[in-house]
Amino acid sequence: MKILSTIHELKNMNSLSVFADGFLVGNDQFGTRLTKSFDLLELISAIHESTRLKKEIFLLFNQIMNDEEISKFKDFIKALPLHEVTAIVVADLGVLMVLKAMGYAQKVIYHPETLITNTYDFNMMIELGIKGVVVAKEITLDEIKEIGDNRKLELFMVGHGHLNMFYSKRQLIENFMDHLGEKNRDHNRHDLRLIEENRASEAFPILEDHAGTHVFRSNVMHSIDHLSELNTCVDYIIVDTIFKDDAYAEKVLPMYHNQTLDLEVKHELESLYHEQWDEGFFYKKTIYKTKG
Amino acid sequence: MTELLAPAGDLEKLKIALMYGADAVFIGGTDFSLRARASNFTLDDIAEATRFAHERGKKVYVTTNIIPHNEDLHGLIEYLKALEERHVDAIISASPYIVDMAHQHTQLEVHLSTQQSASNTETVNFWYQRGVKRVVLARELSKHVIADMVKKTEADLEVFIHGGMCMSFSGRCSLSNNMTDRDANRGGCAHSCRWNYTMYRANEKVSEEMFSMSSKDLEALEQIPFLMDAGVKSLKIEGRMKSLHYIATVVSTYRKLMDDHLKYGQIHDFMPYLIELEKAENRLTSHGFLEGLPGPEQQLFSMRSEQPSQLFVGLVQSYDPITQIAFIEQRNHFEINSNLEVLLTDGSVKTFFLDSMHDIEEHFTPVARHPKQILKIKIPFQVEPYAMIRKSS
Repeated sequence: MKILSTIHELKNMNSLSVFADGFLVGNDQFGTRLTKSFDLLELISAIHESTRLKKEIFLLFNQIMNDEEISKFKDFIKALPLHEVTAIVVADLGVLMVLKAMGYAQKVIYHPETLITNTYDFNMMIELGIKGVVVAKEITLDEIKEIGDNRKLELFMVGHGHLNMFYSKRQLIENFMDHLGEKNRDHNRHDLRLIEENRASEAFPILEDHAGTHVFRSNVMHSIDHLSELNTCVDYIIVDTIFKDDAYAEKVLPMYHNQTLDLEVKHELESLYHEQWDEGFFYKKTIYKTKG
Repeated sequence: MTELLAPAGDLEKLKIALMYGADAVFIGGTDFSLRARASNFTLDDIAEATRFAHERGKKVYVTTNIIPHNEDLHGLIEYLKALEERHVDAIISASPYIVDMAHQHTQLEVHLSTQQSASNTETVNFWYQRGVKRVVLARELSKHVIADMVKKTEADLEVFIHGGMCMSFSGRCSLSNNMTDRDANRGGCAHSCRWNYTMYRANEKVSEEMFSMSSKDLEALEQIPFLMDAGVKSLKIEGRMKSLHYIATVVSTYRKLMDDHLKYGQIHDFMPYLIELEKAENRLTSHGFLEGLPGPEQQLFSMRSEQPSQLFVGLVQSYDPITQIAFIEQRNHFEINSNLEVLLTDGSVKTFFLDSMHDIEEHFTPVARHPKQILKIKIPFQVEPYAMIRKSS
C-alpha cells in the first residue's frame, strides 16, 4: 500500500517524501477542495521535484465541469508535462473521457466521491483503461475489503482527513454575504465553520472556492488502526491535510508509514489543531431505506 | 415533440398527472428507488399504471436510481424482468451495474438519473454509447449550455423545469449519511441541507442570521419556449411527495404553456401561467441555474418556504348533468356564499358561486369542516371526476 499526501508548500516535498510515496497537487481553476492552489509554473515545478525525489505525483482536476469548462481544461493541461505525471485525479466521467481521447487513460484515477459503493461499479472502470478508482468515503471497512479483494484495477481510498460531505456549484458564502449586505472576505478562507442548531459540539468546515461551496465532516477520519488488514486490498491511501498544514503531515505521515498509531502524537494533534479523530464510516453502516 | 414528464407518488396521483396533461410519469417501485417514502408502487400497481397510461398513449418510467452497495444487488435482475413484463417504458438509473443488468437481461429502455450529475457532452455521450437512450442532465446547467449540448449528442436530453432543488450536485452529497446515518444515495436523504446553521469565522460568529444551504424551488415557465425550441426531449417536474392538487395545477399549467407555444409560436405574457402555478403551493421559486449561476435571490434565508396552499377545497367524485349536482370530497375548509372555481382536466378554470351545500344524508351543511367528508354541491356547468374545486382567488 502506498501513501499519498496533499501538500501546502512545495518546499516541504523533500521532507515529507521520507514518509509519503507521492503527492497530490492541483490548481483551483479545475481542481477543488485543495490545500492550496498551485499555478501552472508551480505545478510544473512540483512535477519536476517529484521526479527528482523519485516520488509519484498526482494532479487533482476533480471539479464537475460543463462543456465550456472542459474546453478550457483541455487547453490548460496541454501546458503540463503529463508524461512525467503519475496520474490525474478526476471526479467527472466527461473529464475522464477527454483524457482518454488524449491518450492518457492509463493515468486517470476516477474519484467521484460518493458513487463507487460496489464491486461491479468499481471494476466496470477497467473497460475505460484507467489506472485506478477511489472508493466512496461512505462505505464500511468490510465493504472496502470486499471490493478490494475482488478488484481488477488499483483501489484508492481517502484514509485520513476531513471528509467532504457536500459539493455545490453555487457560491453560497458570496450569496450569504450579499444577502447580509457585506463584502465577501471569505472566499477561499480555510477557517470557516458551520454549526447546526442541534449539534453544538460539531463544527463543520465550510469552504467556498472557484468550483463552488463545500462542507466537510467535523471529525478527522483516520484509518491507522486498520492499515495491516487493508494492505492486501488497498493500493493507495490518501492523507488529505486540507485545513491543516505541512507540519501536521510531518506528524501524521510517519504513523501511516509505520502502520502504527502513536497515541501521544494523536492527542498532541487533536489538541493543537482542535480536532477529534474517528474512523469515518468504517463501522457506521448507513441505512438503506427509511419507510415513513 | 417535447415531452412533459410529471412525478407520481401513488396511483391516484399518476392518473391525475396523466389526465391533466403529462405525456409521461415517473414513479418509484418498492425496490432500488430513491425517495423511499414516495416509492410505494408494487408490481401490481405498476401493471395498473402502465395499463392506464398506455390506453391514453402515455408512458411510465420507473426509478431504480439508488447507488447500490454489494448487499443491495440481490434480486435486481428479477425485479428488472418484472418491470419489463409489466410494460414499463423505461427505467431511470444511476449505477452502472443497474444500467448494464437492464441491458443484458431485458429490453428495457434506460434513462440516466440526475444522480450521476451529467454536466457535459462527453459524459452524456459516454452513457449513450453504453446504451442509455436518455440522460437527465444535472441541474447546474444554464439554458444556453443545454441548447448547445442538444446539438452535440444523439442522446435524448431531459431537463428539470419545476420543483425542489438539491443544493449539492445530486448524488455527491452525504450530509444525511454523516448527520443521520441515513444514506442519501439509497433513499434516505434527511434534507440536512435545509436545517439551521450558524456560520463562524474562526471563533467569531459571522451573523446572527442563519447561513443558507436552501434553494427556492425551481420554476421555468419563461424558459420553456427556449428549451422546447432547443430540442430538449423531456421537461421534468419534480415532486413525488406532492399533493393531488399540486400535481394537477403544475402539470396543467405547463401543459397549457407548451401547447400555446406550439400553437402560437410565441408567448407574450407569462403572468397568467404564473398566477395559475402559484395556486399549487405558496413556495418561493427561482430559475435555478437556467439563467446562469444563482445569486442570493435564488436562495431561502431565515424563512421556511413550505406553506401548503389552502386554496384546494374539494375533489370532484361524480357529476349529474341533469341535476347539476356534484359529489365532492372535502380537502380544505370552505363555506357557502363564497366564490369557488373549478380546475378542469383540460387546464381550463371556471368559476361559480356556492349558495348551498348538503352532506350525503341531505343535511344542510353551511361549512365544510371535515377532511375527506363527502358533500353535495351544485355546479352550474359540466365537470368530471378528478376536477378540483378551489377558493376563487
